[in-house]
Amino acid sequence: MSPSLYVPGDGPLHRLPAGAKLAALAGLGVALFLVSSPIVLGAAALAAAGVVAATGVRLARLRGALAGVAIVVAIVVAANAWLAGWREAAAVGARIVALVLLGYALTLTTRTSDLLATLERLLAPLERIGLADAGKVALAVALVLRFVPELMKQAADIREARAARGLRVGPVALVVPMIVRVLRSADAIAEAIDARAYPPCKSPPTSAIPSSTGPGSADHDNA
Amino acid sequence: MTTRDLVLVALFAALTAVLGLVPPITVGFLPVPITLQSLGPMLAGLMLGPVRGGLALALFVLLVALGMPVLAGGRGGFGILLGPTGGFIVGWIVGAIVVGALAKRFARTGAWRAPDLANAALACVVGGIGAVYAMGVPWLSVVTGMGLGPAAASMVVFLPGDAIKVVVAVMVARGVQRAYPIALR
Amino acid sequence: MPETAPRATQTSPPESMSIVLDHVGVTLQERPVLRGIDLVLEERRVGIVGLNGSGKSTLARLLNGLVLPDEGTVRVHGLDTRTQARAVRRAVGFVFQNPENQIVFPIVGEDVAFGLRNIGLPKRDAEARALAALAAHGLDGLADRPAHTLSGGEKQLLALVSVLVMEPRIVVLDEPTTALDLRNRNRIRAAIAGLAQTAIVVTHDLDLVSDFERVLVVDEGRIVADDAPEAALRWYRENRA
Repeated sequence: MSPSLYVPGDGPLHRLPAGAKLAALAGLGVALFLVSSPIVLGAAALAAAGVVAATGVRLARLRGALAGVAIVVAIVVAANAWLAGWREAAAVGARIVALVLLGYALTLTTRTSDLLATLERLLAPLERIGLADAGKVALAVALVLRFVPELMKQAADIREARAARGLRVGPVALVVPMIVRVLRSADAIAEAIDARAYPPCKSPPTSAIPSSTGPGSADHDNA
Repeated sequence: MTTRDLVLVALFAALTAVLGLVPPITVGFLPVPITLQSLGPMLAGLMLGPVRGGLALALFVLLVALGMPVLAGGRGGFGILLGPTGGFIVGWIVGAIVVGALAKRFARTGAWRAPDLANAALACVVGGIGAVYAMGVPWLSVVTGMGLGPAAASMVVFLPGDAIKVVVAVMVARGVQRAYPIALR
Repeated sequence: MPETAPRATQTSPPESMSIVLDHVGVTLQERPVLRGIDLVLEERRVGIVGLNGSGKSTLARLLNGLVLPDEGTVRVHGLDTRTQARAVRRAVGFVFQNPENQIVFPIVGEDVAFGLRNIGLPKRDAEARALAALAAHGLDGLADRPAHTLSGGEKQLLALVSVLVMEPRIVVLDEPTTALDLRNRNRIRAAIAGLAQTAIVVTHDLDLVSDFERVLVVDEGRIVADDAPEAALRWYRENRA
């Protein structure tokens, strides 16, 4: 799995701050539901396609993602055409296309770490009143990214071991050992996180490093 | 929440992602292959309980929103959440909470006697199917302009697959809990 | 900042630079794992050897408070692991047997910076120090790599760097070379030899501790030999091999 759908680049959308893009997306998302004219919505869909094109991402990169959307849009448009007429169907189809394309424009041009940083800023007010912990969210996201390749490897190993014995793998026979193996490592991982001074202290960083002289610091000695 | 809880939440969010990445499984009598991803909320609820299970799926949805290709078929991104199926994905959070709450209350996962199995299955039906559709269908209806009735009717084709997933979820939860019991929370 | 604070830590008397176990017992799941351990460790290189299940890993985990004693006390530089857990975790770094379980973050550089962020360093400083630490141990250029793509030896080295970057005064290593091939074993061995701080190494790899100052042999929850490496290892080979 590639860690993100983000595609590096330096176009105008890439340079725009993540927070601004998120706010624009939220605003446009609401606006698209307030409009019902198929002509306006069609123009919006074209504009959204223009925005995606402006990201400079090659179409091939998007083909997989857009194929799924195209099928859903086709079904929805057909159903609406039959139930409510072509005008309505065109409006609905254009609206979905516009929404989904704008969503992809955000995802394609914004680093996951930038979105996370924006999320941390959004959580800051909640954090001050003790309702959220941005640090925990960031750690949890990192842990997921760490677990995905591990689980994939377990799945491959289990399939291989079963195939070696000439067995087919049903979902239960695949998922049970996969979970059990990784659960066994969960305690060790929690222990390792605690061993590295987690949860973070809130005191100022000046007191962070204990007598960095001590018996000396390895990286300074070798640097 | 202890560090271990945090690790478990992340683990089940990752599991939900991986269930969407393993190739879909074909079942004899069904015309379409089914993806295992919607097992995620059922398994998280059954094995972690409402709080951690709900957080696991909330974390998963956050990853979708952040643009990670964690949905079945390598999809992801804000666009999917805004699209017609967005309600089902967000509904997984509610689904995991409901499954977890019902399982914690009615199924002694650990003993796994016949009534526990039946209650766990019922929890999956109510939470993993009922609650998810209760969020997904109105959303589908709003985004597509379909009436609620037709939107709900179009879901019928998915019900056989969902029924199979309920059975799979209960069997997986039982299998895992025998090897590695976790108290529901 | 009070003017005296930095001076006080820098001139801390050498007698406080020790690990003291006072009549320590540990029971895990109703099984006594360690019994009546009295120990003062002041050497810069201490090896701990013993059969599987002898209690040596638990002994190591006592030293940074990952396991708390059921009887007796453990003091590190005068800090009680039970009541001053935070300070103890800062002073004692722990490198686990399986680096897979120790690498927390998906990207190498992020993982090294994780501990630094926990002890309050701002993001930029943490990242800069992480890069420097990676370079110091021959892992430069790997900062942006996904951690799961590293080789076994690189993972173990990364686990070590992630601990060292926090500048602990003592490093405890639990079977650091068990899963490694000869070449990577030598890399880890060199890294341990080059450590400026106290190192306490739990291992089955008897060569690894043969040039240490002191070696403990743990058996059935007790320390049965405690000597210079040659004598301690000879005892171990003759009585337990």
